Amino acid sequence: MTEAEQAREEVAAFQKRIGALREEIGRVIVGNREVIDGVLSCMLGSSHALLEGVPGLGKTMLVRTLAGVLGLEFSRIQFTPDLMPADIIGTVVLDEGAGGARSLEFRRGPIFANIVLADEVNRATPKTQSALLEAMQEHRVTVGRTTHVIEEPYFVLATQNPLEMEGTYPLPEAQLDRFFYKLEVPFPTRDELHAIIDRTTTSQHTEVKRVLTRDEILQMQALVRRVPVARHVQDYAIRVLQATHPGGEEAPELVKRFVRTGASPRGAQAMLLGAKVRALFDGRFAASIDDVKATALAALRHRVLLSFEGEAEGVASDRVINEILKKLPGSKE
Amino acid sequence: MASRDGIALLRRAARKAGRRQRAAAIFSQIALLLPLPLGYAVLVLTAVKALRLDAASQRFWWLLGVVPLLVLLVGVGRALFTRRPSWQGSIALDQFHGFHDRVTSALSFSQVPPAERTPLMEAAIEDGAALAGKLDPRRAVPIPLPRELVVAAGLLLGLGALSLFEVRHYRPLPPPPSFEPMVMSADDIELFRDVAKELQAKNDDPNALVAVHRFNQLVEDIAEHRLDRHEVFQRMGELERDLKDNLELDRDARDEGLKGLARELEKSGLSKPAADALDEKRLADAEKALRELAEKLRKKDGRPSAAELEKLRQALEKASRSNEERAKSIDQRRRELEEEKKSLLKKKGEKGDAGATPDLDKKLAENERKLERLDREKNRAERSQKQMSELDKQLAQAARDLMRDAGQSAQDLEQGARDINRMAKQEATEEQKQELLKKLQEMRELMRQQGKGGKDQMQRLQKFGQRARGQSGGGQGKPGEGQGEGQQGGKKDGPLRMGSGPGSVSIDVPVPQSVSGQGQGQPGDKPGGSDPGAGANYGTGHDPNVAGNATDLKGKTTDVTAAGADTGQGAASSQVIYGAAERGFVGRGYKQVFTDYQTVAERALSQDEIPSGYRFYVRRYFQLIRPRD
Repeated sequence: MTEAEQAREEVAAFQKRIGALREEIGRVIVGNREVIDGVLSCMLGSSHALLEGVPGLGKTMLVRTLAGVLGLEFSRIQFTPDLMPADIIGTVVLDEGAGGARSLEFRRGPIFANIVLADEVNRATPKTQSALLEAMQEHRVTVGRTTHVIEEPYFVLATQNPLEMEGTYPLPEAQLDRFFYKLEVPFPTRDELHAIIDRTTTSQHTEVKRVLTRDEILQMQALVRRVPVARHVQDYAIRVLQATHPGGEEAPELVKRFVRTGASPRGAQAMLLGAKVRALFDGRFAASIDDVKATALAALRHRVLLSFEGEAEGVASDRVINEILKKLPGSKE
Repeated sequence: MASRDGIALLRRAARKAGRRQRAAAIFSQIALLLPLPLGYAVLVLTAVKALRLDAASQRFWWLLGVVPLLVLLVGVGRALFTRRPSWQGSIALDQFHGFHDRVTSALSFSQVPPAERTPLMEAAIEDGAALAGKLDPRRAVPIPLPRELVVAAGLLLGLGALSLFEVRHYRPLPPPPSFEPMVMSADDIELFRDVAKELQAKNDDPNALVAVHRFNQLVEDIAEHRLDRHEVFQRMGELERDLKDNLELDRDARDEGLKGLARELEKSGLSKPAADALDEKRLADAEKALRELAEKLRKKDGRPSAAELEKLRQALEKASRSNEERAKSIDQRRRELEEEKKSLLKKKGEKGDAGATPDLDKKLAENERKLERLDREKNRAERSQKQMSELDKQLAQAARDLMRDAGQSAQDLEQGARDINRMAKQEATEEQKQELLKKLQEMRELMRQQGKGGKDQMQRLQKFGQRARGQSGGGQGKPGEGQGEGQQGGKKDGPLRMGSGPGSVSIDVPVPQSVSGQGQGQPGDKPGGSDPGAGANYGTGHDPNVAGNATDLKGKTTDVTAAGADTGQGAASSQVIYGAAERGFVGRGYKQVFTDYQTVAERALSQDEIPSGYRFYVRRYFQLIRPRD
């Protein structure tokens, strides 16, 4: 078997696993296909997602289901203003052994799981948020003089409620940048609501089964990294990124007027990684411009910072990004 | 292998799509920018048709049209030569077929060296190559008709319609050239007819008669109003030129002929006096000398010696052949020059254009000049030969007869003398030609002056002509009013007014413009009489004593016979002139007085007593007051 054939089989297997994963999640979660794909993309891209949506849309349920089908260790942290970093990282306690010997022992916090749900992350103080975000970035935690490595795969899903802003601590730009995607959970359609009500108001209880092993997930993450990106696709992602900056060569008028700061290079990385995952979802061997376009909103919306004028005018960053995608042709003339 | 072929196909399809994209871009640029030059052309054409721009303005505005044309060319050039990304064509194919960049990616990865390719790249290449058969560049990159083309097509149609549309401008055409005949007063026509008649009567030389006939024809054409001013002057100019040429040619030819004769005749002592006279153009003396020689030959006493006679014979013989010899010599020389010319032309033809040296051209030009000169000489020689033919014949006959019969030879010489006499008369013919020339010059001057005077002067001339013939005309003064303004006081066109004694009649003498009323008139010296026209109506009533008184027989009568003495003096000149003022310039008495006066005037003219600028006016005055039949 040639390497190409082997790669072809890998891609086919990836697609098959994803199909199974989607199917199993779909047994619990109604609709929200894009959100589910976005969450999976973040996980397969070895990164983290920020979910934003009003309460009751099934954000926590989604993460819980995901943890169930993946058979990974899951922990949920409800962020509150009095939550301390040690509450999530863990702490050193004095342990008295059977012989009466006392020793200091590190008790791991909920952050040491494969899948962490940071519920309402914006309600915690910046200090606690920072502790979480450091672990997200480094995949390790240092307590005292000891560094504790978090086991792979490591995936944090943070949620935040866009309505109740009072008494919250909005995540600073630098910390938002750490999230691969910011996914907006839409309100369900009528059919979806019917299905949700049917499933949740009866005695019917759906148990999900484990679909993937930990190793399989790591293999899939590795495959994502190996997906090649042609120069023109990468060029397009870079042009989109540059266009988010008011001083960019191809920035549209809307960007020049309402954007304060464009996306960082992490935005381009997110777009391309997301594009790779999407290519594999479709069983393709390389990412395309369409993939980049499809990931642009989720990858850039939390990275494009609007100016005061933009905020005052109520311009959403999604509108700005859509304008960029509309104005920017697939190939440079 | 299959993937390599597939990639080649992909590349070809991508290139084709790229070319179509470029063509579409060019087409779009043309459609976008073509309205510029077309619109400009419509504007300029409208301006040309509506504003009637002159040729220079039209040229300027059309040249300015280069600017929009350049804009179009720059736009098209930009679309043609702008560098485009190499994957543009393949992206178009991907987008059209919905291949999610599989073609472009495959092409992109195929450019990566095989060693550096990952398995997924290879898989992507194979995946792309498998799509090669499904690509359709023509449909993927259509070349649509740009919407702007409608504007260009509309402008093009407008331009065509505009070029066919004719804006009518009414431009007044210049009036057709009218024929204005040269008008000369009847009096002057008659004058020049008389001149022609007089010259015709005096002449018997055919050349002179032809010239007179032409002059007469000119006068008749003017009288019949067949010629305009330009034609009249042209005809006069031609006639004058021909006359002068003929005069010069004849004179030169005769002089040369006579000199040739003189050269030969002076070789004999007997004929030397005649030769000297001929050489100095004293034709009467030459005639006399020849007659004396004939007389000498006839005389029995003192006849010349045989040697002298032989010398004379030779001189006469050579003299008779001199003109012929001269003509032959000219002919010979002419033939030589013709030969030389042919040779030069042949040489030039052989060398071609490159060989035509300045030296050769110079020689040819020199040859041409010589030939022209010889042609003139030949013409003169022929004329001379013609003029001298009789004299030559007689001299030749005299030479032949001299040794056989001196008497016969003398007769021949006398005949020769008569020929010389005839030639002398020919000189008189020349005088007639000169006179004709003079008349032509007068006529020309007259017409020139009349041209300045206009219609008024012509009317005055007509009236004057009638009065001069004694016919009554308008402008007759009332008897008894007196007359005689001396000077016309600087009135430029003022006619001279002839004083007429009793002051009953006045005649206006029109004079040319440049004379400003200087005519000397005689003031009337008597009071005017009663007006004879006052009793024009028939009377009424009758004389009661119609039969008159009865004869009174009582009276005593004495018969006396008285006879007048005829002194032959007639009326005084002044009385004749007064009479002419009343009756016109007619009658024998007036003719006599006029002749006397004209003789004095001609004498004054010939003696240069009259300034040259005024001679014409003096002659014109006498023309106007000449006697009429």
